Amino acid sequence: MKQIINKSGWVALLLMLFTTQSCKKDFQIVTGATSEQVFSTPKGTMGVAVGIQKAYSNGVIFGMCDANGLITIETFLLNPGNLSEAQFSSGGPAVDNTNALLGNLWTTASKCIYDANNVIKAANGFADKGYASGLIGYASIIKASAYGCLSEFWENVPDTIGIGLSGNNTVFVPRAQGFAKAIAAINNAQAAIAANPISATFLSDLPPGIDIVNGLNALKARYYLFTGNYAAAMASANLVSLTTTNTYNYDAANANPIFFSVTSTNNIYQPIDSTLGLPIGIRPIPLLDGRVPFYTVINTAAAPRFRLNGFWNAATKAIPLYVPDEMRLIIAECLLRQAAPDAATAQNIIDGILKRAPAADPYGIGANIPAGYTGASDVASLLTEVYRNRCISLYHSGLKLEDMRRFGRPISERKRNFFPYPLAERNNNPNVPADPAF
Amino acid sequence: MKQLKRLLPWKFRHTFIVLFIQLLSLAVTAQIKISGKVSGTDGKGIPSVSVMVRSTAIGTLTDANGNYDFNANLKPGNYVLEFSGIGFKTTTQELKVTSDVAYTANVQLTEDVMKMDEVIVTGVSAGTTRKQLGSYISTVKADQLTKGAASNPLLALQGKTLGAQITQNNGDPAGGFSVRLRGISSISGSSEPLYIIDGVIVNNATTRVTNTQSGYDGTNSVGTIGQNRMVDINPADIERIEVLNGAAAAAIYGSRANSGVVQIFTKRGKSGAPVVSFSSSVIFSSLRKKLDVNQSPTKFGGPTDGPTAQTQDILTPSLTNTTAVTRYDYQDYIFGSAVGTDNNVSVSGGTDKTKYLLSGSYFKNDGIVKNTDYQRFSFRTNLDQSIGKYVTATMGLNYINSDANEKPDGNSFYSPMNSVTIIANFHDIQTRDALGNIKAVGERGRANPVSVIEDIKQKNQTSRVIANFGLKIKPVKDLSIDYTMGIDNYVQKGTTYIPPFAYNVSTAFWGGGITLDPTQNGYASAATSVFFGINHDLSATYTKGITKNITSTTQVGFSQQYEKQSYQMSQGRGLAPFVQTVNGASTLLTGVDDRGEISISGFFVQENLKYKDQLFVTGALRRDGSSLYSGSQRNQTYAKASVSYVISSTGFWNKMSVKKWWDLFKVRIAYGESGNLTGIGATDRFNLYTSSSFVGRTTLSSSTRAANPNVGPERQQELEFGTDLSFLNNRLGITLNVYNKKVQHLSINRQVAPTTGFSSLLDNVGNLENKGFEIMLSGTPVRIKDFNWNISGLYNHNRNKLVNSAQPLILFATNGGAPVALIEGQPIGVFYGTFFATTSGGSFKKDKTGVPISSGLVLGPTGIPRVAYGTQSSVLTYILRDYLAGGPGNQGIPQGAQLRKIIGDPNPDYTASITNEFNYKKLSLRIQIDITHGNEVFNADFRTRQGVGNGKVVELEQRGLLPRGTVSVYSPSSAIPTGIYGIEEWRVDDGSNTRIRELSLSYSFGKVAKWISDLSLSFSGRNLKVWSKYIGYDPEVNAAGQSTLLRGIDFGSVPLPKTFSFGIQAKF
Repeated sequence: MKQIINKSGWVALLLMLFTTQSCKKDFQIVTGATSEQVFSTPKGTMGVAVGIQKAYSNGVIFGMCDANGLITIETFLLNPGNLSEAQFSSGGPAVDNTNALLGNLWTTASKCIYDANNVIKAANGFADKGYASGLIGYASIIKASAYGCLSEFWENVPDTIGIGLSGNNTVFVPRAQGFAKAIAAINNAQAAIAANPISATFLSDLPPGIDIVNGLNALKARYYLFTGNYAAAMASANLVSLTTTNTYNYDAANANPIFFSVTSTNNIYQPIDSTLGLPIGIRPIPLLDGRVPFYTVINTAAAPRFRLNGFWNAATKAIPLYVPDEMRLIIAECLLRQAAPDAATAQNIIDGILKRAPAADPYGIGANIPAGYTGASDVASLLTEVYRNRCISLYHSGLKLEDMRRFGRPISERKRNFFPYPLAERNNNPNVPADPAF
Repeated sequence: MKQLKRLLPWKFRHTFIVLFIQLLSLAVTAQIKISGKVSGTDGKGIPSVSVMVRSTAIGTLTDANGNYDFNANLKPGNYVLEFSGIGFKTTTQELKVTSDVAYTANVQLTEDVMKMDEVIVTGVSAGTTRKQLGSYISTVKADQLTKGAASNPLLALQGKTLGAQITQNNGDPAGGFSVRLRGISSISGSSEPLYIIDGVIVNNATTRVTNTQSGYDGTNSVGTIGQNRMVDINPADIERIEVLNGAAAAAIYGSRANSGVVQIFTKRGKSGAPVVSFSSSVIFSSLRKKLDVNQSPTKFGGPTDGPTAQTQDILTPSLTNTTAVTRYDYQDYIFGSAVGTDNNVSVSGGTDKTKYLLSGSYFKNDGIVKNTDYQRFSFRTNLDQSIGKYVTATMGLNYINSDANEKPDGNSFYSPMNSVTIIANFHDIQTRDALGNIKAVGERGRANPVSVIEDIKQKNQTSRVIANFGLKIKPVKDLSIDYTMGIDNYVQKGTTYIPPFAYNVSTAFWGGGITLDPTQNGYASAATSVFFGINHDLSATYTKGITKNITSTTQVGFSQQYEKQSYQMSQGRGLAPFVQTVNGASTLLTGVDDRGEISISGFFVQENLKYKDQLFVTGALRRDGSSLYSGSQRNQTYAKASVSYVISSTGFWNKMSVKKWWDLFKVRIAYGESGNLTGIGATDRFNLYTSSSFVGRTTLSSSTRAANPNVGPERQQELEFGTDLSFLNNRLGITLNVYNKKVQHLSINRQVAPTTGFSSLLDNVGNLENKGFEIMLSGTPVRIKDFNWNISGLYNHNRNKLVNSAQPLILFATNGGAPVALIEGQPIGVFYGTFFATTSGGSFKKDKTGVPISSGLVLGPTGIPRVAYGTQSSVLTYILRDYLAGGPGNQGIPQGAQLRKIIGDPNPDYTASITNEFNYKKLSLRIQIDITHGNEVFNADFRTRQGVGNGKVVELEQRGLLPRGTVSVYSPSSAIPTGIYGIEEWRVDDGSNTRIRELSLSYSFGKVAKWISDLSLSFSGRNLKVWSKYIGYDPEVNAAGQSTLLRGIDFGSVPLPKTFSFGIQAKF
């Protein structure tokens, strides 16, 4: 009998194993949150907004500085083994649609716009209007900047981001409409903030460095200028504080991408030299212009002699959304380009920029040339001086290609006008326009 | 019981009732003893032959001399004894039990070259014989696995199983390896087969617990690098391995058998006095082939080191001044000779009721790269216990502890191989500064190889338990119930330590840059991966004679699997001196805390009809569900059918005259469906936002990959025809398989337009196919007294094709620069890139050094070959422009864009193996030659060597034998002639190779003393010689590790070593 009990024990065990093991097939996910969860709360939505900043301040800023610098000869290539950069450095047809850096720039900018739209949409539904207006303002800064990036480097830009996973892909519109989309996003954000000022709770959740209200006005001034709406550009630029900073910050774990990949490795590119890539006649005054030692530093120990400095010389160095000189120069340029040019006021502004000591600038950028502006006072000369100062004060900020085209600089000063559309877009979207010849 | 009702089909419940009744009605029987000897045609005893009383669980195995004896409780009557051994035809003998207590049965077995009577255990239930199978299954026995100095069971399988391509991806002592059965069967998921050891589904994952830095792969695909966990299994424990290539796997393992199944059976105890087996060997490994390095006495440009250093001079064609340099060969520094040892001891024995096997093993082997090694302790207990007449319980327990000292993976520039590849060979790497610190190599912030070998430390440790428990119940005649539970549980722990560098190392390589930034300099990480898997399989098999000639075997089964995985990693950079843990980091980097669980369950029913001993028809249905998929896709049904017709067993064949010399003629056809229910990750069907830290805040970032929430599993359909033939009294055998394997609903992470907000979409699009054939020839050309010669040959021909994928081209950015592509209508993972312009359109050729010598090369003004430009009309078509119009020497700016075409294919045209075995008296020699033909390797290292100036092409340019600018990046607008450095085709090499994979010479002394029943000495070798045109170390390589898509990339991988081992084996 004992044997029988033993044997039925085995069988009982066998049965138990089956009855206790469930066939559960829906497990709770703990490693992330679904989009429904994320956008159901203001804090979750804020997390997404911060995520956009992280993506933008890494991918887009790096790509703009890298591509724009080599194409406009602000910088030169150190190692042709960096294939994307080697293409920019060669320029012309060498830049093709497989360029990984262009692909990243296009993809990251699109992603930023996609998630900014999600944030703005979710924020519109939140009861806490003061928090919501902060979210809308914050996300709109990145959305506008991302549209600005696409519109600067590509002749045509996507009309609608976030469609095409099922159904039709986006169509493309001329890049001027891209700048218009950036301006529209800013107008929408400014309206939201005007109706409900940004709450203190939101500001305490906002990563340090960013000033939403000034940032919106500065970006609006930039893109109005690019679209030729000088009155509006000037009006917005006048609203921007010129004594405070407004930056994308980094920390040791999320290092400044240009320092991390370029400055510290000394293996991708460095400043061309103390001319900052400007042609004879409009170069910075040798050894005199204080902005050159701000942006470059001389290394006598090892080649190359001129190294990146400024906003790219440390892992935790913040990169500004704009520098005050950009606002001053926008006003000067608008005064010169408006229907009835005001050359005298413009010259005054330029004179002020040249005379300003580094200590008078929130970032320490100052030409510090006591003589100030000594050139001709005609509109054409002053416009060239505006271009010259933009190239120096806004060195390596990713905007020079746009300026070169706006100021009609000779083609020989740059290696490309517009970029080809990345392969990932071309292969998957039938609406992509033809690539530009140059 | 209510739950039981819900879970089990009616038939099962019925079975249990029957079982209970049977258990209660145990009859009193008499104990008798049966003994005898099983011998071969040569009269020698055959060990390990199964002797069973038919229709009972009573039986035993023969001992080393072919003798057997066992006790049985049998009522008087007529019984049949069945003698079956691997490699022999099954023989039966009648046994009439009377009142006697002892019986003797001696039999002679004849060899079975085609192994038609070999018992094949598909699934967990009672086996069938090869004769009945409609699809091909190969079996490899223990003695073939342990002869070739292979450190793990799957390497030991290389070249021994039809239809399998097994490659070692890395020459590290625990380097990863890939198994492809009949080609690639998935794109997003793994293409590795399912591994089952004694009924336990064992995990073969590759988890990156070391090489945790995200820095060096960034957004590129680096592949699946590191150890894969089959490395834990001790080959000496294995009795045999069965490989189910395709359709055969369907019914029993439906849900996870997309890529085939590898079943491993470990050794078990035999009744009799305890037998102690002992083996020990010493292993010597070394670099098989050293590469030639640049010996030019000068370089271009300025000095090699110091403040004004100018390395990478070759890529700047404007530099034409030269500097005298001293040349070094760093291979002498990073490689060393490696010693290892492999020791095994086991005790086995038992009674007719209880059988046991205990084994212990210690394996240690050094890597050929200095300061790398791998060691493994393994213990195993296998126990079989008969409980009464009807029940047998088995249990197995395997504990493994392994420990590897690694160096960084090849994909980084601070790995041993790449630290040497990425610098020119003109630095004296051993010089030290006044403080005794190693110095910088050049001005570009690269790691000095001395730092890599001496200072960087990586440890990879695993503790693992694999346990199985089984019950076999034969409650009534012809009914067998099998239950198996398997548990696989391991913890894999990795630590990485890069001490702060005393010199300028790029922050991208975890240095502190020029300023030795203390917040960046150095790196430490600790990662832990925990895996737990449990599987239950219950099946019942009922055999019934329907008519005199037709027998039916019905099988029903239920299976349930659950897996839980977690991965935690913490990391930081900017280390304090001496402290090797993450605590020493001044900058904590984002860590990982990943968890997931999956569950799969299913049931099947299979019916097999047997007509006489000649026609076998099998049909099966299986239904499975997996938690990885949403409700609408969760449950899948798979069907299988096969027919086997042994014509040589039919009556009319017996009347034919061919029968005299033609022994076996079998034809078979099989169709099977299977799935890939573990083909995506646990949360892959959800669109998740994941968090990370950012300037004191937390981000929630959406993935770059969108998911179709209703993505479904891949589905495979395979049709296989085959025949087995044997001639001349079984001295010549031929097996032929022809198959067509189609995988539909591929879960492809397909590229989408970035303006969608995503880079890719996981969806079911497209399908692929593998078509091919396999031939095995085996024969015995000489069989005379004291000498025989066996020869066997395998030939595998597989054509893999991505039939469609919803987009004509997907190009992957890989870490080594290999332009891996998925192109419709082409094999998976071809290299698609820029190529040399030629007037002939002929195929690309390089000389031994690597200089392009294709016919019709279009040359620039200084004679440098040029890259093809023109208009790309579609993925595979283009119009060459520019150079052709003006003919060679045309200096014009190229028109259009750089063109791309397929420049290489990592899939071989065929693989083959030829094995010769010679036995003369007690001496035996075995030589296995493996051939891989027609595959290309993307030799990234070859190009890097040229770019930095340690390669031989550079030497030619520096010596003025090639035009200046040859090794530089082509620039259409450059005033100075520029060259071929950027042309991707230049990096593609022919990877065809023939190698002496295994060689073994052994001498068996037999019984040498009263207490030593068997003693033998052996010498083995592995990868002793390779014939290949490859311009690198060894074309059997893959820097992307066990990746499915990224194959044949040589980028910093440690080459396969040449290995010798001397061993002694004894039995007591």
